[in-house]
Amino acid sequence: MVVAAIAIFITASGDVSTYASFGDAAISQGKVKIVGELDREFPVHYDPDTDPNIFRFHMVDNNGESKKVIVGMPKPQDFEKSEQVVVTGKMKDDTFVASEVLTKCPSKYKDEELSLRSDS
Amino acid sequence: MLATIYTGETLWPGQLGHAFILISFLSCLFTAFSYYKDTKQPDQGWKNIARGGWYLHAFSVFGILATIFSLMSLKMYEYKYVQEHVSDDLPYEYIFSAFWEGQEGSFLLWMFWHVILGIILIRKNYKIESFMMPIFVLVQAFIASMILGIYVGFGESMVKIGSNPLLLLRDTMNIPLFQNPDYLSLIEGRGLNPLLQNYWNVIHPPTLFLGFASVTVPFSFVLGGFWKKDLKSWVEPVLNWALFSACILGTGILMGSAWAYVALSFGGYWAWDPVENMSLVPWIILVGGLHTNIIAKVTGRAIKSTYFMYALSFVMILYSTFLTRSGVLGETSAHAFTEMGLEWQLVAFVLFFGLLSKLIFLANHKHVPKLANEESIYSREFWMYIGSIVLLFSAVIIAASTSLPVVNLIGKYFDPTYIGRVIDEPITHFNKYQLWIACFVSVLSSGALWMRYKAFGWEKQRKKFAISFMVLLAISVLICYLMSFWISYFEPRYAILTTLAIFGVLANLYVLFPKNWKSTKALASATSHLGFGVMVIGTIASGLNEGVISTNPFAMKGLMEDDELGKVVGLIKGEPMFCNGYWITYESDTITDRYRYFDINFRQVDNQNNTVDEFNVEPHVLFSNDLRKIASINPSTKHYIHKDIFTNIRSLPESQIDVEKAQAAEDSLKYKEHILSIGDTVNFKNCYGVLETINYTPSNKNYSKEDHELGVQVNMKFHPTLKDSLKEEDKNKIYPVDPALGLAENLVYTYPVTIDQLGVKVKVEDTFFADVFTVDGELKYQSFEIPQGGSFEFGDYNVSFTNVIKDPTHKNYQFEEGDLPIGANLIITHKDGTLNRTVTPLYIIRNSIPFTVKEYLPQEGIHIRFANIDPTTGKFTFKIASDSRDNIQIPLLIAEGVPRTDVIYLEAKVFPGINLFWLGSILMMLGFILAIMARKKAKS
Repeated sequence: MVVAAIAIFITASGDVSTYASFGDAAISQGKVKIVGELDREFPVHYDPDTDPNIFRFHMVDNNGESKKVIVGMPKPQDFEKSEQVVVTGKMKDDTFVASEVLTKCPSKYKDEELSLRSDS
Repeated sequence: MLATIYTGETLWPGQLGHAFILISFLSCLFTAFSYYKDTKQPDQGWKNIARGGWYLHAFSVFGILATIFSLMSLKMYEYKYVQEHVSDDLPYEYIFSAFWEGQEGSFLLWMFWHVILGIILIRKNYKIESFMMPIFVLVQAFIASMILGIYVGFGESMVKIGSNPLLLLRDTMNIPLFQNPDYLSLIEGRGLNPLLQNYWNVIHPPTLFLGFASVTVPFSFVLGGFWKKDLKSWVEPVLNWALFSACILGTGILMGSAWAYVALSFGGYWAWDPVENMSLVPWIILVGGLHTNIIAKVTGRAIKSTYFMYALSFVMILYSTFLTRSGVLGETSAHAFTEMGLEWQLVAFVLFFGLLSKLIFLANHKHVPKLANEESIYSREFWMYIGSIVLLFSAVIIAASTSLPVVNLIGKYFDPTYIGRVIDEPITHFNKYQLWIACFVSVLSSGALWMRYKAFGWEKQRKKFAISFMVLLAISVLICYLMSFWISYFEPRYAILTTLAIFGVLANLYVLFPKNWKSTKALASATSHLGFGVMVIGTIASGLNEGVISTNPFAMKGLMEDDELGKVVGLIKGEPMFCNGYWITYESDTITDRYRYFDINFRQVDNQNNTVDEFNVEPHVLFSNDLRKIASINPSTKHYIHKDIFTNIRSLPESQIDVEKAQAAEDSLKYKEHILSIGDTVNFKNCYGVLETINYTPSNKNYSKEDHELGVQVNMKFHPTLKDSLKEEDKNKIYPVDPALGLAENLVYTYPVTIDQLGVKVKVEDTFFADVFTVDGELKYQSFEIPQGGSFEFGDYNVSFTNVIKDPTHKNYQFEEGDLPIGANLIITHKDGTLNRTVTPLYIIRNSIPFTVKEYLPQEGIHIRFANIDPTTGKFTFKIASDSRDNIQIPLLIAEGVPRTDVIYLEAKVFPGINLFWLGSILMMLGFILAIMARKKAKS
């Protein structure tokens, strides 16, 4: 019983890693997770007419390094408003190719003014 | 400083409600105390006092609910909770959803169920009532403290206890608006999040919270039992409660997963999201507890384990409440929770009951009788026990992995340089372990049922057991192989799991065969256990074999990794696209209320392009309450017995998503001005346009006649010249456009038109409005004085005055007391017979001053006034003028290269065998109900 628990713990610890930086991703062989922010110096590029499954943006990791990211899925709604971005994928040349992107958006009503009646 | 005196507020319900809140909390403490007294001094009436305390508590909780519901129904926005969750336009059926949208409301829902369950417990008159109820009531006291909303001095600082749902809006924010005494007439409600305006959100939370509340019952039973050192009398009655709880909590979780699948765009029914995990964990432990409970009932063993399981299951409910409501999960969960600022109170809640369970156990566990002989490994209870341990294991693994953010938080607290850890691939991670657990459970939940308690008659049964086991396993392997023609297993481990799940189903059917099915008890366990097998098969089929239909055959490859073909395809309205054996056509879209439905046709064909199957789906988007943007995208699913086809809109052109983006898209267009006369032609890169006519009754699809006083429309026809990019049938088409202008309340609105095929957008410049409709002051009126029956000529028109009418009506005239209105019926005809119309301009005397109301014929541009009556001569004066429309020049703004607006980006997936998942899950729940029924029967 205890042996089984320890065995599971050891194998499970292999599934866990820390958030990487673009620097780590460049060395790493496998997939990594990077947390950072959308780099607003560059536009978010999504042209569904050409390919609805790809969108590109630039992201700054926690070390302050900015890299181009390509994600293989449609652009999530309100992506431009995100406060924090977590991408999963690997480095290919100088671009981070992500299979998944998670965004954290400001909570629904934060800083929102009270909505006033439009008819008065 | 002067206090502002506000108008329109009603404050007493809030004060009353808060009084109820205080009473509800205090009455809990009182009830718990009275029960405690009864345990010390039995038969002195404390029990009745305690019961009375609970009824008082029940009354106050109903009082809180009634207060908040009334405030919400009456839309009293002076209260923060009301303003945040309802709005004037919220349909009445969603008042409940709005009520439990906030944390305070959901705590109240939880309390409500505790009240009901508490009353039932009192009515049942259990032997251990006075020991069990204080535990139950203390739980309720903790929840009640969550809505208390009081501040307590704690050394230097003030600690907030609970969040009061009856706070006034103006007490919660400091903005200049509240300097206005009449602020209430200015504000409106935020309304319910559109994602939650859904019938699932009406039924899912009450079920889930009843599930949560019901877990408190077994918890109170075991703690109360140990406390009383009574280790027997509760073992029997608690079982029904645990069965009930497992059924309701399980149903609540399933409803959540059905909601995610059917109505939300999660794209599946289970994603190992932390919120899902943490509702599953208590359920799994509870089911484990059910099994040790049965062992305890039959054999007298496993009493400590039962205590442990039921206690842990409840503590896990509290822990999951903490995780989901504290914002700890922020980064890892798709579920959004607003923070309440009560994290420490929630931690205290978990720790208190965790420690209480531990203490009561430590103080009393030595009283549990020890049974002399070891249990045989050929007994049913032995394997049931192993099964419970496996379930506990499963729950611990899920809970531990889900708790990683908590570990990170603690790590950072002690060591600020600590770097948090995350699970790289959560779904792979969870599946890896749960797969083997499901294997164990499949075998244990079937094989164990063939054995008897206390290994009764094992020697005789042994041979039969071995043979049946091998034969059924062989049949399962065969069925698993046959199923491989339908679904793929990809890896051996999935084939093993499928085989064992089939074995589980068959073995449970075998238990019922030939006549055991007549026993409700046997039927109950077999139904739940075979349901598990069916559910596992359904998961393998639908999860592992989830297939994508919507891959674009023409998409460029190579940008992404080769195995990751895009899952989304762009569809242009009316243009069929061939994807993986289906012709998919976006046929039309309709806007009703706040929804926009996209009608999409799927036609499955064989190799010869013969139609095999055809159906339509209607995925849709829901706009936010203020209609400014898309709030949610809802999928649409075509259900078959053996599969589901799930479709969802993943994106729309920018201009279709929200008002701001639409404006940005409009601003990015490069309009060029063209001033044209009727018959003129203008050339573009890929087409030319001809201005055909002007008309004064616009029929543009966005223009509504009722909303406008006047309108003008230009009709143009576009002929394509560069036809390469056009479809065959579109090449020789002529494209008509009808941009319009409309006047409403002194503002001119433009109604542009886009030709998606040609990428052309046309709008009429609004200055044109004043060109065709001359301002009254600039008109050159001509006067005619004629008697009744007379007529006059004006240009090509003839006007004849037939009669005077009293009490006339006119769309621009509103009768006032003392008015003297007179109308003149005039027939206007055109020389060439194109017009024959009766109009009635008015001459009115109001307060002895005359004024007139004119008639206007927009098409002809003619203005007529009834200017004067001369009583002495009996003659009437009419004034007539016409708009100067000779040689009209129409200023048009035309943009080229306009992005298409008639495209949707669709995802379509197949979930084979998904109904097995639902069927299996429902069978599991049905088993719990059957078990309760069997026990009722056995009793009577």
